[in-house]
Formats: sequence, structure tokens, C-alpha cells
Amino acid sequence: MSMETLDYRAESRSRGVLGRLLRYMVPHRWKVGLSLLILLAATGTDVFQPILIKIFIDRYLVPRHFPTTTLIELGGAYLGLVVATSVLNVFQLLLFQILALDIIQRLRVELFDKIQELALAFFDRTPVGVLVSRITNDTQAILDMFMTVLSSFVQNVTVLAGILIAMFALDATLAAYCLMLIPVVGAVMYVYGKVSGPVFHVTRQRLSILNAKLNESLQGMPVIQSMRQEPRLRREFGEINESYRQARFRNTQINGLLLRPLMDVIYLLVLMLVLWYFGTRSFSQVVNIGVLYAFVTYLSRFFEPVNGMLQRMNFFQQAMVSADRVFQILDNPGLGPRQEGEDNPEIAQGRITFDDVSFSYDGKTDVLKHVSFTAKPGQTVAIVGHTGSGKSSIVNLLMRFYSVDRGRILIDGADLRTFSNQELRQKIGLVLQEPFLFVGDIASNIRLGNDHIGPDQVEDAARFVQADGFIRNLPDAYRSPIGERGATLSTGQRQLISFARTMAMDPKVLVLDEATASVDTETEEAIQAALEKMRHGRTTVAIAHRLSTIQDADLILVLNHGEIVERGNHQELLSREGLYHKMYLLQQGGSRDVG
Amino acid sequence: MRVFHDLMWFFRDHRKKYFGGIVLLILVALLALIPPQVVGIIVNQVQIKTLTTTHLVYGLIVILVTALMSYGLRYWWRVLLFGGAIQLGTELRTRLYHHFTRMSPEFYHQQRIGDLMAHATNDISAIQETAGDGVLTLVDSITTGVVVIATMAITISWKLTVVSLLPLPLMAYAVSRFGKALHTRFSLAQAAFSDINDRVQEHISGVRVVRSFGQEGWERKNFVTLSQDVVAKNVAVARIDSLFDPTISIIIGLSYFLSIAVGAVFVVHHAINLGQLTTFTLYLGQLIWPMLAFGFFFNIVERGSASYDRVQKLLSIAPTVKNHPDALAIVPNGSVHYRIREFRYPDTTGSPALRNIDLIVRQGETLGIVGRTGSGKTTLLRLLFREFDIQEGDIAIGGVSIYLMTLDSLRQCLAYAPQDDFLFSTSIAQNIAFASVGATDQEIINVAKIAEVDQDIQNFPDGYDTIVGERGVTLSGGQKQRISIARALLQEAEILVLDDTLSAVDARTEAAILSELKQNRQGRTTLIATHRLSAVEHADQIIVLEDGKIVEQGTHRALLDREGRYWDMYQRQQLESLVEAGGVSS
Repeated sequence: MSMETLDYRAESRSRGVLGRLLRYMVPHRWKVGLSLLILLAATGTDVFQPILIKIFIDRYLVPRHFPTTTLIELGGAYLGLVVATSVLNVFQLLLFQILALDIIQRLRVELFDKIQELALAFFDRTPVGVLVSRITNDTQAILDMFMTVLSSFVQNVTVLAGILIAMFALDATLAAYCLMLIPVVGAVMYVYGKVSGPVFHVTRQRLSILNAKLNESLQGMPVIQSMRQEPRLRREFGEINESYRQARFRNTQINGLLLRPLMDVIYLLVLMLVLWYFGTRSFSQVVNIGVLYAFVTYLSRFFEPVNGMLQRMNFFQQAMVSADRVFQILDNPGLGPRQEGEDNPEIAQGRITFDDVSFSYDGKTDVLKHVSFTAKPGQTVAIVGHTGSGKSSIVNLLMRFYSVDRGRILIDGADLRTFSNQELRQKIGLVLQEPFLFVGDIASNIRLGNDHIGPDQVEDAARFVQADGFIRNLPDAYRSPIGERGATLSTGQRQLISFARTMAMDPKVLVLDEATASVDTETEEAIQAALEKMRHGRTTVAIAHRLSTIQDADLILVLNHGEIVERGNHQELLSREGLYHKMYLLQQGGSRDVG
Repeated sequence: MRVFHDLMWFFRDHRKKYFGGIVLLILVALLALIPPQVVGIIVNQVQIKTLTTTHLVYGLIVILVTALMSYGLRYWWRVLLFGGAIQLGTELRTRLYHHFTRMSPEFYHQQRIGDLMAHATNDISAIQETAGDGVLTLVDSITTGVVVIATMAITISWKLTVVSLLPLPLMAYAVSRFGKALHTRFSLAQAAFSDINDRVQEHISGVRVVRSFGQEGWERKNFVTLSQDVVAKNVAVARIDSLFDPTISIIIGLSYFLSIAVGAVFVVHHAINLGQLTTFTLYLGQLIWPMLAFGFFFNIVERGSASYDRVQKLLSIAPTVKNHPDALAIVPNGSVHYRIREFRYPDTTGSPALRNIDLIVRQGETLGIVGRTGSGKTTLLRLLFREFDIQEGDIAIGGVSIYLMTLDSLRQCLAYAPQDDFLFSTSIAQNIAFASVGATDQEIINVAKIAEVDQDIQNFPDGYDTIVGERGVTLSGGQKQRISIARALLQEAEILVLDDTLSAVDARTEAAILSELKQNRQGRTTLIATHRLSAVEHADQIIVLEDGKIVEQGTHRALLDREGRYWDMYQRQQLESLVEAGGVSS
């Protein structure tokens, strides 16, 4: 319990967040102004209705004076006000809601753009689920806030103000008494916020724990069942379920004590005040029954908006927490590297040079130390080394996923930093360890968003990597849909499709992060054949996990703890009998001498 | 309405709560009649100048007592009715969870986890709403409605009552109509929202691909389109939503107008007095909520019963794998004997997954299962766990058919490290001890050492207490596999099953784990399915599966001597290294 309430945010922080959120309305100020005007008009026509009835009672009904035309006018005016209020309210409500939706749309796109710019390191640290929830769920909570703050709070406050103004117009003394309502209602709101806020927060937290537990149990059910842990998990789930029930119940109790039932008591107390005021005054002077009637009507209307605001207070706090999280992402300074200067060099030949490159992710430990090598146009440079030796960092730097701290990377003599993003992405093709396919069909996965790649080029690319055969055998060939993460295809087939995707771009430079995943030997052969074809005529930088696939490389670099410790071709390295030789023997032995 | 009948078991179980809640609601409705009467009397006395201080004080005290009493009663019924509804939600969730733990893999093949989650969250909250707000709106609209209307008709004027109530049924109709339209449009908006959710999820998972192919612009375009769709769908909701309140206030305004206009005529003709007219309009105000509630009621019940049907349907699915009525609760022990004529996955056509398998693995032996993807390796192992039941044939352990023992005792003799190693988001130690909750730290460390993962774990910031998964560290595939092997080892089961659980482990570690296993599991049976032949070379017996049939069987040596498929596979895996070996010597 104490743990759970710890990260319940202080109000002072949420005020800055609120201000920042409200600034999103600035570009829409004309619409906001218009909506507010309509709201004011609607409130005016609304609170004026009881006054007409008061006029009717005091001027005509009590004195029994009934001029037909005037009464018809009065009645007509009343109905007119009723209709006008409703029509104005329709527009006002709609305008506010559309406004809120527009603002959230902008915030979402802004957040998406920001995420596109963030350095990849951010994605390594932040789980996918958390990020998705920032862009969708948190913005949704903020949307609710805009709907409540903009629509409800502004509206309710306006209506309350309107009612008070009307009361003052009718009887200033009594209205002044009724002003006492404001601190009372304010105090209730304050207490309610204080008491229910933490409980509400705990409830939400327990619900998310409950859902997480359920989700995980469903995913891990085979494990749970084969290990006979059903009774234990049922018990654990039961405990979480019960703690959630208790939190919900506490919520109900607090709402029962402080919301409607309490408001109703306050209403009756004020009603007593109004009756006392009119009653005692009637002993000494003539009172207008119409005024009494109007006051009673206003009072009964006063509490609807108050109840509305009270009920929405918790969502408001939730939204502030969400907004805070969203802003933390928007303020994240860790941007990915971008083009520097206006030179726009082009990659024509594909000569790659690492010139004394050192690199560190955290600023403390270097994962690459003084790495220098050159891949001449058309050559294949293979990088081998143990896990954590810095192989992947070389790819990360070459792809400009991270910026080079020390040293330089040159492509065709120009510094990597000076290339435009587009040039880099078009001319350097990356093939990742794990083929990632998007939801869509096969053709769209090969083409991606590049409209200039036509159906013929898609098929050429597939044919080039020898994926054409199996694709044509699928029920809808290139139009075959691919399920979530390409679940309907084998790993090898997905790998081939991702190759075709790279080939469709026809890059000058190929960067291969060799697959470690186990595919059966025949697919493996198809993949190796495709890779060989792809490398032909392109400068290739390949990270190899199996030495067997890189014997024909022009240059092999052996990395050890971020340093190049050996370099040369396969034969040279073997004859040196150094680290490469050892790795080679180990891999050989691994598949022969066990047992 | 049928949903109330369906929920009767719950109402009956909690009859005190519900009966009490309904009685309290009725009392509150009766109490609420009092203040308007007092107001009417005082207004009338003011007008005809008969009001005295005693009268006034007396009237105010009545209001005060009413106020305090209804405060208590209002709180009380809320706790009873809503507390009951929350209880129902809790009970249903427990039921569903218990049901889920009994379901066989077939169920999880047919249902998507997202859908099951939706049933356990959205559907249950809709049912909960039915038992809470549904009961409230029904009881309240009937009791308050009837009581107030009766009081208006009896104590003031039935004619005036009829006239002024004319517009109100329109309101219940409008509420129900708008409610339905809102619900439909809201579902569409939800669907659009879930689309954008999926899209973002995909985008972030594939961020490296997006960046390396320079597809940011395209992704943005897609995202903007989808988020505009979300806006459009929500605007459609807003269109109805903003009609809702204003429509109601028109109807209410009309009703007030009628009661004042016609009431004035009555006052003039001395049928009622001015105080009664005031009371009447106050009562009219009290009728707004019951009318709204009546409209809400239909929507709540409609949603609730649809949800209840869905949950019931889910609960009525019987597990496909069950204990035999006379199943023995004896933990089996001994050699494993497979005799399968044919096995097909349920609801599949085409060739069977396994055919004509006759295989004996003697106690203490290690069986290697090799073959390409889809050849039936995993199926053969899953059948042993009774994840699916064989249609023709039998599997026996120690001479007893696995179908004649309880699932629990069968699974007690089996430990499984599955292909898709699933870890729970708790600490590493708790994951390893998942099936053996009482295990000591030393036992956990021992198995981690055998699985060659101890060193990796020690390097994590919190060692064995490191949390894995979304909220903790991300493990590499190889680490996950080794933890899942440690987990299986800790079970100390008679039969250990490794389903390609070494695929992401490097060759040296694989060799180390295998030799540790050999020592550690002396006298106990091990089944290993694998792609890499190196993992089964030492096995007592190796079978080669192809299209669900055993095509070769024997020891590593014997199979090599046969120069068949196994030999082919071995050659292919060795080919490159042999060529390279030649390169060295030359």
C-alpha cells in the first residue's frame, strides 16, 4: 500500500503540466473563443428561464391578471429560450469535443514524430508495450482530460456563475447567503480529491496488475500446466483479484460518503436557508412567491454541475499523470544522429573507411577502441568475434543509428555525418538477424513505402533471392497476407523476403547482420546462395557468427573486446594460428567431438 | 431482462444484500417526497399569510431529519448494491481464470489471447454494470417513478399530472435511441483506436527496419491517416453525444412549461393552490432521473446480456484433454513406449502429423529426435504431455497407458523445456523454481550451474533476484533457453524433455550442458529434439522423422553407417568444416 501510493504525484508538478497542456489550445484560440461565446449564450438563455416563470407568477398569476397577448408572448419566449438553449448547447458541445480531438491528434503526431527522431538507444531501454501505451493510452487519458476540463469544467463553472448572477438579480441578500455554498462545495471537492485520489490511483494500479497477471497466465499456460502450477496460480490470481475488489469497494464507499448523497444533504440545508429567509421575511413584509419559486428552481439545478465535476476529478488527476509521462518523452534530449552541413555527398562507389573509431554507449566503457579498416568498392569485409566484442556496434555506427564519438567513418571519402538520411538509407542496405515483416501482403513487405518500386521490380527482387518460387506457390502469390510478425511463413522464408526487400532498393553497400536463428539446412543453403548473389558487385560489411560462411571474404577482422586483434583473409588468419584459428577449431570441434 | 434471470444464482447467493438494497432504495424514494411537500405548504402559507414561526421551524426540522436519514440510507444502498456488483465481477473473474487453467492447448489455438483478455475485462465489467447500475436503474425508475407520480396525482391533481408527463416518455425513448447509436459508434471508435494501437506496436517493434530503409515518412503518413480515422470515428460519437443532453433539456423544458401553464389555469380555478404548484414542479424535477434511468436501463441490460452470453459460451467449452474416469493417481516410472497409428491435429485436413510410430525408450536412456521443421518432432513430445490426445494408438510409461493415469501424476514424472521458452515477469530465482516453489537457493544455483547460466545470472545487477521481462532486464534467447533448462532440471523429474532448447546456445556451452546433463541424469530418461545433430550424437538412440514417420532409427554410429538421411544431414552440417579442415592441412 505504501509502495503503491509513493509515486502518486504531487499537485505542484501537475500544475506545470496542465499549463503546458492548455497551451496546445493556443493555435485554436478562435475556435475556443467561439465555443466559449456560444457557451455563454447558452448559459444565458438557460438561466433566464426561471426568471420568466417568476415574472409570470408575480405579475400575472398572483394578482390574477391575464392579458392574453402578453401571456402568449411570455409563453412563446419561454419555449423560445428552451429551444435556443438546446440548439446552442448542441453546437457548443460538439465544438468543444472536436477541438479536444484535434488537439489530441496533434499531440499524437507530435509524439510519433518525436519517437521517430529518438536515438535507437531509447528503444533498447524502453519496452515496446510502454511506448505504445504512451502514444495511445496516455494520449487517450489526456483526451478525456480535455473533454472534462474544456467541456465539463468550463461549462459547469459557467452555469454555476450564471445561476449565481441570476440569484443576485432576484434577491441580492439571499444570493449573498447562497454564496456560502461556494466554499462549502469547494471544501467537499478538496476533501474528496484528497481522500479518493490515492484510492482511485491504487485501484487503477491493482487493475493493471490484475490484467498483467491474467495476460501472462494466458501466454504461459502450457508451461503452467505442464509444471502443474495451476493451483498456485489460481491462488495468486485470487489474491490479486480480492485486493482489487477491496480497492473498488473502498472507492464505492468514498463515493457514497462524499458524492451525491452528501450533495443532496447540502441542497436540503440550503433549501432550509431559503425557506427560513422567505418565511421570516413574510412576517414583516410582502414577499414575491415568484422569487421564492425561482430560487428553489435554481438550487435544484445548482448541484447537477457540481456532481459532474466531482465525478470527473479523478480522471483529471489520471490525465495529469499521463500528460507528465508524454511530456517526458517529448522532452527527451536523446535524438538520433542527423545530417550535418549542406554538402549532400553521394555514394557512387561504396568505399568504406573506418578511421580510428572509438565508441561508447554510456560514456564510460568503450565498446569499440581505435577501429580502422577500409572496404574497397565491391569487397566483402567480415567481422567476427565473441558476443559483446563490438560487432553490432560497428553496424550501428555505419548505419548512423548512433553518432561516432571519436574518429571518423568515411564513405567514398566523405564523412558519414554529411550524408542526407535519404542517400544513406537508399544506398546502404541492412539485413538484420531477425527478419521483421509488417502486417500486409508480401509485395508490400518487399516494396515498403517506396512507390517508385513497381510490381515488376518487386518480382525481380524476389526472383533474385530465389524467393519467387515459394511465393508463387502461396494461395495469393505476392498478394498473400502476412499475419502478425509473419507467423504464417517459416523463418527461412521470412528471411528471404527480407532479402528481397533489401534488393528491391538496389543498394550500393550491403550490411549483413548474420542470422543465428536455427533454420533447417536446406533453407540455410538457399539463404547462403541468395546472400552470395546479393554480395556480388556490392561492398559488403558482414557480421558473421559462423566462420564457415565467410571464408571467401576479402578481409576478415577479428574483434576482441572492441579491438581489432587480427586481420587478413581466411587462409592468412588460419596460418597465423591466433584467435581466429582457435575460434575456428572450436566451432569445428563443437559439431564433432561432443559425447 | 433475461440476464437478470441468468444472474439469479448470484442474487440468490447475496439475497440479503440485494433485498436490503432494494428496500433502502424504496425508503429513499419515499423520503424524497417529503421536502417538496414542506416547500409547498410553506409557500402556500406565505401567500395566504398564515405562516407562523412554529410552523416554519417545524417544517425546517422535518426537512433536516429527512436530509440526514436519506444521507445514511443513500450511502447504505450504494454499499450494498454496488458492493454486490463488484463482488459479482470478482467471482466471475475467478471463475474464468479457473476455467482458463483447465483448458487444453487446443483451446488456446482457437482463441486469441487478446480476445480472452477482452472477455475477462470488458465483458465482466458490462455484467458487473448490469448487477449494479442495471438493478439500480430498474428499481429506481420503477419505485421513484411510481411513488412520485402517484403522489403528484393523489395529493395535487391527476389531470395536471397527466398533462405535464406527456412529453416524458419521449425522453426514455430518446435516451434509449441515442444510447444505442452511441454504443455502436463508440465500438467503431474503439476499433479504430485498437488499429492505431497495433500499428504503433508494429512500428516500434520494427523500428530498426523502418530506420534502415528510411521509411519514416511512409510510417508517418500511415500513422497520420490512422489517427485521423480515430478522430473521425470519435467525431461521429461526439455528434450523437452532443445531441443527448440538449434533447433531454428540450423535453424537460416542455414538461415544465406545460405544468406551469396548465397549473396556472388550475390555480386560477382554485383546483390547486400556488404552494401545490411549487411542490408539483419540484416533483417534476424528481422525475427526470427515473426517466433517464429507464432509458439507460435498456442499454445496460442489452450490453450486459450480450456479455453474459459471451462469458457463458466461453465457460461452457469443455477441456478436450481430461482425466479418464478411473484414472490412477500413481506417478509412472519406467520405459516410454509410443505406439501411434496415426495422429492428426484437431480441425486439420491433409496428411497426419504422425504416422506408424512404434518406439521404446528404456528407462535411463537418452533419445535424440531429429528431422526438419514440421517433421513432427515437437508433436511427438507434446503427445507425451497429453497436450493433445491420440486418436489411434497409445503411449505407455512403465507399461501403463498415459490415458489411464491422472494428468497430474503424468505431468509429475515429466519435466519440459519447450521450444518457445516462456519466462514469467518475476525474479530469475522464482522462474527457475517455478515448478518447485520450496526449492532452496543452493538448489536453484546448482541447476543454474548445470544449465551453464549461473555466470550470466551473477553478472546481472541483482543476481538471482533480477526481474525479467517488461519491467526488468531483457534476456538473450540463449539465456532464456538455459534458464528454462534449469527450471526443468529443478523438477527432478523421471523424464526430461528438451524441445530444441539449445538452438540459441553456442557450441561450447551446448557441449558443456550436455555433458553435465549426462552426469546429473544418470539412470533417468531424457528426450531431446533438435536441429543440430551435435546435440544428440551421444544419445542411446536417435530417430529421424520425416513427414511424421520414423525413417531411420539407431545410434549415431549405426545411423552414419547406414549412409541414409541422417548421414546426409550430418554430411551437410560437416561439409563446410571438412572443406576448411582440408584448407588448413594444405
